[in-house]
Amino acid sequence: MRTIDDFTRPLEYISPMDGLLGSIFRDWVEKEVMPYRRQFDEDYRDHRLIHPPFKKLLGEYGLQRMIFPEDLGGWGMGRSNYMCTAAFRMFEEIARADTGMALAFGALFWPFLFIALEPHENRRLLEEFAPMFCETTEPVFAALCMTEPQGGSDIENIEIVKGSTIRTTAVLDGDEWVINGHKLWPSNTGGLARLMAVVCTTNPGSDDPRDIAVIYVTSDTPGVTQGPPYEKAGMAADMNSDVWFENVRVPSWYRACGPGDDAKYFGEIMSTGNMGIIAWISGAMMNIYERLTEFVNRKKYRGLPLKENDAVAGVLADFAANIEAIRIVGYQCARMCDRHDLYGPLWDPGLVAKMRAQRYLAMDRFIEVTGRVMNLMECFGTDRDWDVEKHWRDLKILQLVEGSKQLCQIETARWFYECRTL
Amino acid sequence: MNDLELFPYPKNRLQKTDLDLAASLQDLVQKEIVDKRLELKEDYRGLLEPNLNKLLVEVGLQRMFWPEKLGGEEHNGPEAAYTVAAALEQVGRADTGLAYLAAHNLALQASLAMRENLNQEACGRFAPLFCDGRGPVIVSFVLPVFGEDEKAPAWRGKSFQVRARAASGSWVLNGKGVRPTCSGADAHLFGAWCAVEGEEQPAFILVPGDAPGLSRGPEFKKTGLAASRNADLDLSGVEVPAENCLFRGDLEYRRLLSWFYLGVSAAAVGGLLAAYQILKEWGDNRVIKGTGNVFKENPLTGALMGEIAQDISMSRLLAYDLAGMLADPTTFGDAGSDMVYTAALMIVHHVLATAERALHRTMELMASAGYAKEWQLERYWRDLKTVQCYVGSHELAKHDFARWFYGARTL
Amino acid sequence: MRGIDVFSRPLEYLTPLGEQVGEIIREWVENEVIPYRRRFDEDYLEHRLILPPFKKLLGEYGIQRILFPEDLGGWGLGHSDYLCVAAFRMFEEIARADSGMAVAFGVVFWPLVLICCEPHVNRRLCEEFAPMFTGTTEPVFSCLAMTEPQGGSDIENVEVLKGSTIRTTAVQDGDEWVINGHKLWPTNTGGVADLMAVVCTTNPGSRNPDDIAIIFVPCDRPGVTQGPAYEKAGMAADKNGDIWFENVRVPLWYRACGPGDDAKYYGEVVSLGNMGSIAFAVGVMLNIYEKLQEYANRKVYRGLPLKENDAVAGVLADFATTIEAVRIIGYQCARMCDRQDLYGPRWSPEIVARARAHRYFAADRALEAIGKVMNLMECFGPDRDWDVEKHWRDIKMVQLWLGGKQLSQMEVARWFFECETL
Repeated sequence: MRTIDDFTRPLEYISPMDGLLGSIFRDWVEKEVMPYRRQFDEDYRDHRLIHPPFKKLLGEYGLQRMIFPEDLGGWGMGRSNYMCTAAFRMFEEIARADTGMALAFGALFWPFLFIALEPHENRRLLEEFAPMFCETTEPVFAALCMTEPQGGSDIENIEIVKGSTIRTTAVLDGDEWVINGHKLWPSNTGGLARLMAVVCTTNPGSDDPRDIAVIYVTSDTPGVTQGPPYEKAGMAADMNSDVWFENVRVPSWYRACGPGDDAKYFGEIMSTGNMGIIAWISGAMMNIYERLTEFVNRKKYRGLPLKENDAVAGVLADFAANIEAIRIVGYQCARMCDRHDLYGPLWDPGLVAKMRAQRYLAMDRFIEVTGRVMNLMECFGTDRDWDVEKHWRDLKILQLVEGSKQLCQIETARWFYECRTL
Repeated sequence: MNDLELFPYPKNRLQKTDLDLAASLQDLVQKEIVDKRLELKEDYRGLLEPNLNKLLVEVGLQRMFWPEKLGGEEHNGPEAAYTVAAALEQVGRADTGLAYLAAHNLALQASLAMRENLNQEACGRFAPLFCDGRGPVIVSFVLPVFGEDEKAPAWRGKSFQVRARAASGSWVLNGKGVRPTCSGADAHLFGAWCAVEGEEQPAFILVPGDAPGLSRGPEFKKTGLAASRNADLDLSGVEVPAENCLFRGDLEYRRLLSWFYLGVSAAAVGGLLAAYQILKEWGDNRVIKGTGNVFKENPLTGALMGEIAQDISMSRLLAYDLAGMLADPTTFGDAGSDMVYTAALMIVHHVLATAERALHRTMELMASAGYAKEWQLERYWRDLKTVQCYVGSHELAKHDFARWFYGARTL
Repeated sequence: MRGIDVFSRPLEYLTPLGEQVGEIIREWVENEVIPYRRRFDEDYLEHRLILPPFKKLLGEYGIQRILFPEDLGGWGLGHSDYLCVAAFRMFEEIARADSGMAVAFGVVFWPLVLICCEPHVNRRLCEEFAPMFTGTTEPVFSCLAMTEPQGGSDIENVEVLKGSTIRTTAVQDGDEWVINGHKLWPTNTGGVADLMAVVCTTNPGSRNPDDIAIIFVPCDRPGVTQGPAYEKAGMAADKNGDIWFENVRVPLWYRACGPGDDAKYYGEVVSLGNMGSIAFAVGVMLNIYEKLQEYANRKVYRGLPLKENDAVAGVLADFATTIEAVRIIGYQCARMCDRQDLYGPRWSPEIVARARAHRYFAADRALEAIGKVMNLMECFGPDRDWDVEKHWRDIKMVQLWLGGKQLSQMEVARWFFECETL
């Protein structure tokens, strides 16, 4: 029988670790996640079922170490030129079981992009935080705090609002930052995060990019409060909550890259974040393909398996064709994020725009074809036991993170058509 | 059963005269257009112009609303909306472009000669032109367009193409590179929604095609709508009598558009019905996967054909819904009210978008027969897309919807 | 203003030769095609305007020689592992001006693939036909005659029908084939073709692939009649007509690859045809992007260029995004067809299915995006002087050929879901 491995990947892009990582993840997913995932929705607050597989993957297998340099106990992926392609494979594999887990896993590395990648490695901060992740077999989560109550994800619209709407403030007091503010929605909060990177302003209302600061805060610092996790339409494994910062004090060198650079390298979060979303979509579609294959083989119509009906086959074909397209585009995105020597820096506005473009297209395609698959499956399409509806709910949520479709469209238009006032 | 009757519409709402008109038009266009078009293709002189004469003059569509004493048929109550829908559907089936032209003509009649808002003076001046039996009157509109001229005054963000100045007893009109909604090369009467110098309120002014100072550019090539030989216009100091200004208010302007959109929607439904008939003829004896499997019996192609029929049915129902709203102003309000106008705009866009999708799918089924001129399908595809573009940008229309439903003010 | 070269391509796939020829074609397009193309529609029967640029490109620049081995006066591209990527670039560049020309150009090489490419080079036929293409500066056209009156492009459904519906017969008489039949629609007919490859059966009604024969027929053979070019919705440069074969005699060794292999390598023709179709769609969209940029910059709405309006920008973004995705998928498809060492033989049902999936995805996306652009341009959308409507008409045809969308869907479903009776 055909498997998910029959979909096209650009074979020349595959990372050297692909085979190893792929088999570790697939094995882990089959044994640790698949048997339990249908109960995850109700586990959103306690993570009783969700935590143990994470402990295995992050802590025991040590995946949480991978972005740190080798001499600090990590796997050195931050310095490689295949991090994104390798991540694409890992993301696909996890998302195949549960997109929420894939997002929690991916978001764990987000804050470290600022300090672990060339050419802006921050050695002092790496040394500071590596032990937290590399010297334990317990899972450790990190979070990137961006969204605020007033502007939603508008804050991510850096090119236009240039940080002027950020209300979380960082004030230098001697050799310490004093942080005050209120953040919403970061992945891996709700009590989970041990370390946070907080997007703040050093000069409220300013649209000077140098006033945007990304500052690390360990969650046990006095004044940091994480609220209880929100209840959402899906994505239980991705815990989100309010985070309050009240006169939180951290050393002044906890700032990620420094004035100007914090804003500049924020683009890397956008590029890789959008690339990651495509991988999650691809992974979810792989699983839907598996479930759908089972469905159309098992169900009969006029004495033949459902798949032998031409009208059904039309829907099946569209689903497969869309996986092909999304996966190919996704791997190309990952390659573009990896090979800066060919495609330019990861924070380049052109690259960010292209990643955003591909991500919203992939999402639109996913929603259209998955909607049709669910309709084809009739009452089983919305049945939790068939898993398709779960992916559909999860990805709808994913469509709305990191800026909506409209924000993506505006950014895409701004770059490709040089719009100036959008 | 007449195969067009397969598609649901509120037949109970139509007068016997409407049904008779539709039936006679169905015969007429079959004989005069459908049966001849393989030979005559989209020839303007050979096929389209003579039939425009038949429809507007001989059948009398261009006399429909005008008062009897002026030579018209005085079918000028709101219930005429059903007549417009039933007639233009049939015309649109034969040639969507002809129906599109007739929609202009009928919308202008409705805006001048409707019983409740009868414009005595203007009827007296213009009815003879339509009723003298000397030939078809091709009516075209000059409407504000999307982003034409930076310096032009704007109407809801769209630029007026023509500026009018009030002189003593006349209007003086100016505009360069003006693009009318149809027939720039042929139209006898242009109805222009003009900016008025020094005044806030625009004016809808009728400009005869032979007015001094009006010059027509060369006919330009476009995707479809062969019946509308379009050309850009230049108006330099065109002077028309003050009475040619038919109205100044938004209400009347939207009333005109609502009726126009009804005609266009019906024309589009006609195009869809034609596509249905072509596909049916083709699909009846087409085989797939070797001999013995008729196209329509295949689950996939059959389902697609079903989907196309669904699209056609829904479009037809919507077009008649619009007719129903225009036919009953006591229930729904004036044709120019925000609500009815918004509904008309939504329906025409929905019908045209559905038509585009249905035509695409029909072509996909018919493969090379879909694009070979021989099968006559592709002309509907081109015509409907062209109509859709001329009706305007869907994105901007959505702003009108948002204005009405959410109270958006600055869009 | 950003040009068309900002759109992503997998840079690692590009070849020096393809890029060089791409540049040459771009210049040729600017000088020889774009100034005249608005009159091509009316030139469909005569090719008075269309033939001179072809003479320059094919004959004088000698591009018609590229597939043949170097020792026979060709450029040896048939032996290379970058034929498809190079062709993709050429197709894009030509289609940017006129996809009808791109089709006519591509089809020159289509039948020759069967005899010029490894591992099935037919040296004797190469030697026979090379002089026809390499020994002249006049343009020489070939065509591949498949479609027949009764089944339409159903005949291309080789996997299911196995040639059983082919009615054009080839009967062996001594050391000659005697061919009788009637073909419709081949590109480059209507009197244009000098050489044809004809899909025939050596045993009418048989389902044995050995009985499918592809036989070369020079068009000046007695008994070959080409009808006049059809009138179509677009693509005037691509002439199609009826062809009748009446007791046409050619030597036995004019058969392309032999029993079994003709049917087998026919898949290659389908893969490459699909790959090329994507390139046509991309080329067309690149030109529409140029026209759209001009439009959205020049036209003004509320005092600003159209592109500065968010609602417009949404449409612009969707269009750019579609180009990005379709182009990436197209190049991947081309690479897959080139690197048979990595992806397997391009005549395999697997690659055929993938290429079909990529192609119909691309065509659907392109048509949707172009349709929206036309509507945005209101009355200028269908105006010939803005060129967009021409591309829209042309590209619809690209979607419909090679069996149309539904046949593609069936092949895709058959492969990805292992349907057995479709």
